[in-house]
Amino acid sequence: MRRAHPAAPRRALETVAWYIILCLVAAVTVFPFVWVVFTSFKGPNDAVFSVPPQLIPRNPTFANYVRVWDQLPIGRFFANSLMVAGATVVLNLVFTSLAAYPLAKMRFPGREVIFYLLLATFIVPPQLTSIPGFVLAVNVFHYYDNILALIFPSLATVFNIFLLRQAFRTVPDDLLDAGRIDGASELRIWWDILLPSVRPALATVAIITFVNQWNDFYWPSLMLHTRDRMTLQVGLVALQGMFASDTRGIAAGVVMTVVPILVLFVVLQRQFVRGLTGAVKG
Amino acid sequence: MTKRFSLTPYLFLGPALLGVAVFVLYPIAAVIYYSFTDYSIITPPVWIGLKNFQALVNDSIFWQALWHSLVYLLVTPILIFLCILLAIVVDRQLPGIYAFRALYYIPVISGSIAVGIAWRLMLDTNGLLNGILLSLEVISEPIQWLAEPAYTLPIAMLLTIWLGLGYYMMIFLAGLQNIPEELYDAAVMDGCNAWQKHWYVSLPGLRPQVTFVAVISSLAALQVFNEIYILTGGLGGILNSGVTIVFYLWRQAFRLQHAGYASAVALVLLVITLAFSIVNIRLLERGAEAGT
Amino acid sequence: MHTKLLSLIVLASIVLAACGAATPAPATEAPAPVTPATVIKEVVVTATPGPNPETLIQGVEPNAKITFWTFWLSPTFDDYINGTIARFQQAYPGVTVKWEDHQGTFLDDYRNSVAAGTQPDVANLSNGEGWVSEFATKGVLLNLDDAVPQSVKDVYFPGLWKVSLVDGKNYQFPWYAAVAVELINTQLYTQAGLKVEEFPKTVDGLPALCKTIKAKTGTLCDIRLTVNDLPSQMIYEGGVKFISDDGKKFTFDSPEAVEWLQMYVDMVKAGVVDRTALMTDQDRVALDLFTTGKAAFFQTGPQLIREVRTNNPGLYGYLAVVPAPLGASGAMPPTAMAISVKKDTPFPNASIALAQFFTNPRSMLEFSKVVSIYPSTPASYDDPFFSAKPVAIEDSAKPIAKDTISRQTDLKPTIPSFKDVNEILLQAVQQALFNNVPAQKALTDAVTKANALIK
Repeated sequence: MRRAHPAAPRRALETVAWYIILCLVAAVTVFPFVWVVFTSFKGPNDAVFSVPPQLIPRNPTFANYVRVWDQLPIGRFFANSLMVAGATVVLNLVFTSLAAYPLAKMRFPGREVIFYLLLATFIVPPQLTSIPGFVLAVNVFHYYDNILALIFPSLATVFNIFLLRQAFRTVPDDLLDAGRIDGASELRIWWDILLPSVRPALATVAIITFVNQWNDFYWPSLMLHTRDRMTLQVGLVALQGMFASDTRGIAAGVVMTVVPILVLFVVLQRQFVRGLTGAVKG
Repeated sequence: MTKRFSLTPYLFLGPALLGVAVFVLYPIAAVIYYSFTDYSIITPPVWIGLKNFQALVNDSIFWQALWHSLVYLLVTPILIFLCILLAIVVDRQLPGIYAFRALYYIPVISGSIAVGIAWRLMLDTNGLLNGILLSLEVISEPIQWLAEPAYTLPIAMLLTIWLGLGYYMMIFLAGLQNIPEELYDAAVMDGCNAWQKHWYVSLPGLRPQVTFVAVISSLAALQVFNEIYILTGGLGGILNSGVTIVFYLWRQAFRLQHAGYASAVALVLLVITLAFSIVNIRLLERGAEAGT
Repeated sequence: MHTKLLSLIVLASIVLAACGAATPAPATEAPAPVTPATVIKEVVVTATPGPNPETLIQGVEPNAKITFWTFWLSPTFDDYINGTIARFQQAYPGVTVKWEDHQGTFLDDYRNSVAAGTQPDVANLSNGEGWVSEFATKGVLLNLDDAVPQSVKDVYFPGLWKVSLVDGKNYQFPWYAAVAVELINTQLYTQAGLKVEEFPKTVDGLPALCKTIKAKTGTLCDIRLTVNDLPSQMIYEGGVKFISDDGKKFTFDSPEAVEWLQMYVDMVKAGVVDRTALMTDQDRVALDLFTTGKAAFFQTGPQLIREVRTNNPGLYGYLAVVPAPLGASGAMPPTAMAISVKKDTPFPNASIALAQFFTNPRSMLEFSKVVSIYPSTPASYDDPFFSAKPVAIEDSAKPIAKDTISRQTDLKPTIPSFKDVNEILLQAVQQALFNNVPAQKALTDAVTKANALIK
């Protein structure tokens, strides 16, 4: 599947050219972070905005990080984001994989209708549902300003149902029939046979869901207002508001909130990539 | 195989369908209802018939927002073009290529808020960009990037593109790697050079990915909010230069407390989104039929 | 050059040391946690003979639990707020207070809390940004005229009790007031060849000033339009009559209004103002421009000088303070922060008691000793603290504070559909400033739209 370009000597120049292009593109994608990182270490005497701009601080200091950490519950922001994303992933996986099973493998009246209905809801913008969603959160579910408000609406996402349906369809029917012959209930078949067979797809769904929840801002910003309950993205905006006159502080805050997820990404790189690209099966 | 009627499929589908019903279907119905009312969320809705829609027609800011949303859709073809290019570039066995791919992916992981804040700092009137331009003497006076109406939307779109580069690149990359080697060999034998190879083999082979990216990124473009919120500090830009349909919806519902009016806007958004999705899929399907 | 800077720093240090406990510690010290719950601090209370003079409100509900929101006071003033709450709970035993501080998102948070039914019982709202007006017109604040005895009302400057009136009724306890001053960056100012004493006394002197500054130093003016309360700015700066006396027609397209708007249009067209600062709804953003040394002057209260000192210590030594220029109305808008009570709170008397406690003379005197804000109660000024000569630049408004504040009057009429009218006006102002629409046309169109709202 993967083809290799033999590295012949006359291609050395071409290789160098490719590296230059790659580095240029990397510079474009990475430069803002580099600048933010350097800014976050600048002391009060290192100009943040100057002409010409100074990238590297002369007296690097951790003071900005300390200041931000002291004044904002960054740790709490993390914990909240982790709880929301984690709970969402677990619950979502369960519900969507349960739902995908009949859609992929069973025949029953109304299957087509349900399938197309779900398909149709895919295009509904979250901002549209946010208006009644707000009213529901306040009047019906009473989880305003509570992280439950972030978890509940994400319990079943149509995207994930489709992904898992695709995955389930690749599982041979014989495997399932074998289970049925052995007298297993459909639930057992789902748990013992179906799910283990599609582990990569489950990882895909888990990662997509996790990243989406982690980076979600719009709905959390409507729901969460007490500082201690905020998730990271909402907290970041609060940080920016709080430190408006303090560019170094903002930079430190941004670095603190981005680095952990980056570390996670580096560690799980393969799964991330496989997950996100596996989403597109022709 | 005849099976007697079983409740199982419905039980399995139950929780998910319940979730969809409560959090998607009910809201659609509610929004349709609200759009015929005057509703401030604090006080109960008051039926006013078509007044919201009539006001919408005469609302110049609404039309402005609509136009901005349509303009924003331009990010989709730009992203498709750039990311296919990028995927082709990174699709080679060079040492360290995985590191580069990871680097291109960083904006995606960091999230639009963190990135938006960083951009906002850099684009400040006394920020980094002006600092660089001034010291290179490209400009003689700082440009107020974030306060110039003409620049607001392009900057937001640039941010969206920048954020999406790594993500869509990976998708196209996977697609490229799925294209059988034989097709390339056949093209080479037919006398194709590098660019023709990509034109005649890679592009058609990427059709499923192109469809996927087209649908997903145009949906994201129509629903864009975070970039505009961060870059304009929640204000939508001078002269509403950054106001898209979604931003207008949010402002009407949650800043001005006109949830009924906002619902009318939301319905328009829904119709447009639907139209675009259908167009996208039809266009690309037809292309697929024509191509094979 | 170095010795000059050095001696300035030494001088500043001596001055600061002399102030001692009068000025708060910089924010880099380890502060208290951000949103404390009902923490009762250990406060040594000397037994007061007789009934507690601070217990002015009768009928406080037993075992009341009330929530209190403040605007941007944490973590710098954690100790002060906690201490005052503790004293309050001593004065009114049985009442528990839950305190939250909200910052940049205060307005959105408060709005959403009203919509969600979780509005706090007592909240620190801004008069200057139009918040009291907004929420009073929405009907979610308690009218204090009837709920509070006259003896309590008399504690405050009469002018301040009548601020942000809606239909002639008052919905706020006046809290700490700022005296609007002009902070000047003397480095930039003298570089422009200007003298600090000659800073314009009236607002219409600003355009010429900005042109000079831009020409000589290349920096832009840091002037703000209060985009959440444009009517107020029109009325005080422009001397504009906003609405007819019978409240039936808007009149903000008068010649005075056009002249006011035209002043800003000219400044924008001449390219002498920073647009981001002009249109931001966050005062801190405009402050930021000054703090980073990029603006020659900025109008604010002396209490924000502490922000300058924290974020740009180098600038602090070059600050000068002059009185803020007056607008065409000849009056200064009231600058008092307010404490308002939720309309249908389950604990009205307890809430009123808390609001009144924080705004009583003793509490405000103590707050003044912590930061350079000024009480809204005449009695506080009797304390020798206010007659002491000002030492640090933050205190330079002290001698004139009582007089200035006692003369602050609210000229704003009741404006129906305030939020929507402000929005219409905001759009019109932007059209005139940035889209070449003539000021008269923009305002007249806005008046037409606004009148349609109140038909």
